[in-house]
Amino acid sequence: MDETSYTDAERAALAAVLDTLLPRSRDGRLPGAGELGLGAEIERDVPQLAPMVKAALARLDDDAGAGGFAGLDPAGRTEALRVHAEGDPGLLPGLLFQVYTRYYVAPAVLEALDLEPRPPWPKGYAMDPTDLDTLLEPVRAGPKRYRDA
Amino acid sequence: MLRPVSEETVDVLIIGAGASGAAIAWSLAETRMRIVCLEQGDWMKPEDYPSTRIGWELERFGAFGLSPNGRGRREDYPVNDAASPIRISNFNAVGGSTILYAAHFPRFHPSDFRVRTLDGLADDWPIDYATLEPFYGVNARMMGVAGLAGDPAYPPKEPPLPPVPLGKLGETVARGFNALGWHWWPSDSAIATRDYEGRAGCINLGPCLMGCAQGAKGSTDVTYWPPAIRAGVELRTHCRVREITVDAAGMADGVIYHDADGRERRQKAEIVILACNGVGTPRLLLNSASKHFPDGLANSSGLVGRNLMFHPYAHLLGVFPEPLEGYKGPTGCGIVSQEFYETDLSRGFARGYSYELTRGIGPVGTALLAMSKGRMPWGDAHHDAYAEVWDRTAGMVAICEDLPEAHNTVTLDPELVDADGIPAPRIDYTLSENSRRMLDHAVARGCEVLEAAGAKESYADAPLGVAGWHLMGTARMGTDPATSVVNEWGRCHDVKNLFVVDGSVFVTCAAVNPTNTIQALALHVGDRIKKNLANLFD
Repeated sequence: MDETSYTDAERAALAAVLDTLLPRSRDGRLPGAGELGLGAEIERDVPQLAPMVKAALARLDDDAGAGGFAGLDPAGRTEALRVHAEGDPGLLPGLLFQVYTRYYVAPAVLEALDLEPRPPWPKGYAMDPTDLDTLLEPVRAGPKRYRDA
Repeated sequence: MLRPVSEETVDVLIIGAGASGAAIAWSLAETRMRIVCLEQGDWMKPEDYPSTRIGWELERFGAFGLSPNGRGRREDYPVNDAASPIRISNFNAVGGSTILYAAHFPRFHPSDFRVRTLDGLADDWPIDYATLEPFYGVNARMMGVAGLAGDPAYPPKEPPLPPVPLGKLGETVARGFNALGWHWWPSDSAIATRDYEGRAGCINLGPCLMGCAQGAKGSTDVTYWPPAIRAGVELRTHCRVREITVDAAGMADGVIYHDADGRERRQKAEIVILACNGVGTPRLLLNSASKHFPDGLANSSGLVGRNLMFHPYAHLLGVFPEPLEGYKGPTGCGIVSQEFYETDLSRGFARGYSYELTRGIGPVGTALLAMSKGRMPWGDAHHDAYAEVWDRTAGMVAICEDLPEAHNTVTLDPELVDADGIPAPRIDYTLSENSRRMLDHAVARGCEVLEAAGAKESYADAPLGVAGWHLMGTARMGTDPATSVVNEWGRCHDVKNLFVVDGSVFVTCAAVNPTNTIQALALHVGDRIKKNLANLFD
């Protein structure tokens, strides 16, 4: 197994970390990042991140004791991740970039944001016309703004 | 051994198929001269643009990124811009940087051509607004300019298409300007707001800066090139020019270029026209040093590559209490304010700036932008924090006039080369004190207008590092060969069959996006070539 492959235990721990970073919303409309399966995408798409992430997961598991990081309750996970991040300042910025760029294109998330889960083209978006005559009235009433030259 | 495509000497060889190369190709096509354009990029396919995919925002970090250094495309050339606070953002394809531009399409003001006379700074242009006015009109028709007549910041003009929609976001910010009694106006935009000349009308996709899948945005692959090609101009893609060659008399006689397979080829020509932008043009002139021109072609003045101007940008972001539907509509076009455009020295700086509305931030961009501002927590607080900013941000940029300074340069990097081994450009640029003061003013006043529009809080970033879109001044225009590279119609003082038509020829850069003026200049040069064909090299 090379250093970019994750064990099942590491995958479970990564899912727990992702669910701690972006948990399910209180109203349940927005899924957690781990339950959305972003760990598998990060493993597949960003192998260069694996050494840092795997080292962090190992440390988090060690620090968490017998049940490992995944065995902690949500408050315990948050505190463990916060403490870890203080000594590993590169971890969260790198991981959050990967999480945000995947989470906020997921159809389930877009629907929860009241967006249609589709690309902009070909449907596009309708926009209402503006009453420019009224809105521009004070500007039209103002002085000439350019210098003759 | 060079392999010529043929032994034919073409009448006109244009280097670069972007904004200016396309315009002058179309202009000269009516002469029925044999015209060839060499472009290092390829035709773009609208179906490949990110807005056709749900993950469109992510492609900003890959093949549709702003910097040529990060895209990994063979068609681009690398730029060493480590010594500049503003990094180069260009694109190489048929259409050039118009593929990725916002299509914000203002004209220069009359005062922009008379900076020395009016403000005692820099230099006057050897031409004036009246010279370009008819070509602005032609360009508006060819590019399909949307806008609204009656702007008190400009002499009269009549855009052929109705303005782009303001949307909730634009209306909100416009009311902020009104509350302060400041100027604003719907932007002039090279966007077909209805079906126009074979182009489909805009459907408010949003991500204009990653190519327009609809074909509504006026990139020159869909505006000038189709009629130019129908009129007989030959456009060869994947042809990267290594150098312009000269004959025994010191006249340009053609170019050496690399084809798609990297093989060196030669094309002979009677007239050579450079249309490679404010970095690519000085790079090529400097790469064309020879026995006749040891310091670079057409560089007896020593000014090739000097006086590089960007437009220093400030980016402002306001967070509003209500949804603004900011993901809808053209990214960089909506409204413009020129309240602080003309010089008022009581502000602490000379010259001025424009504000332009920005929008088109999607869900990913919202998260990343908020993270960069330190207001996107992870954990339980994340979703509430995200809900406060998602679709509730309005952006503006301030585009500041840069003044020409000889120490801001494009030179050849001693080590960096492109995929064909051609020396790459190096940028050395420092922000002037005048620009710093202007940016400070623009940030303070910009936050003021966002708050007047109802923003709960506002953020600013200046200078905006990624904003090296506008590349100007590095082969300046003038009547004196000692202080300029080209004359008042783009002809090199030193090489009378060599022309420059891109932003390199700018004497000063105004405080507006330059593409409309670059193209008007190209049409002006084309017009002068046509009128002077009988004695073009005298």
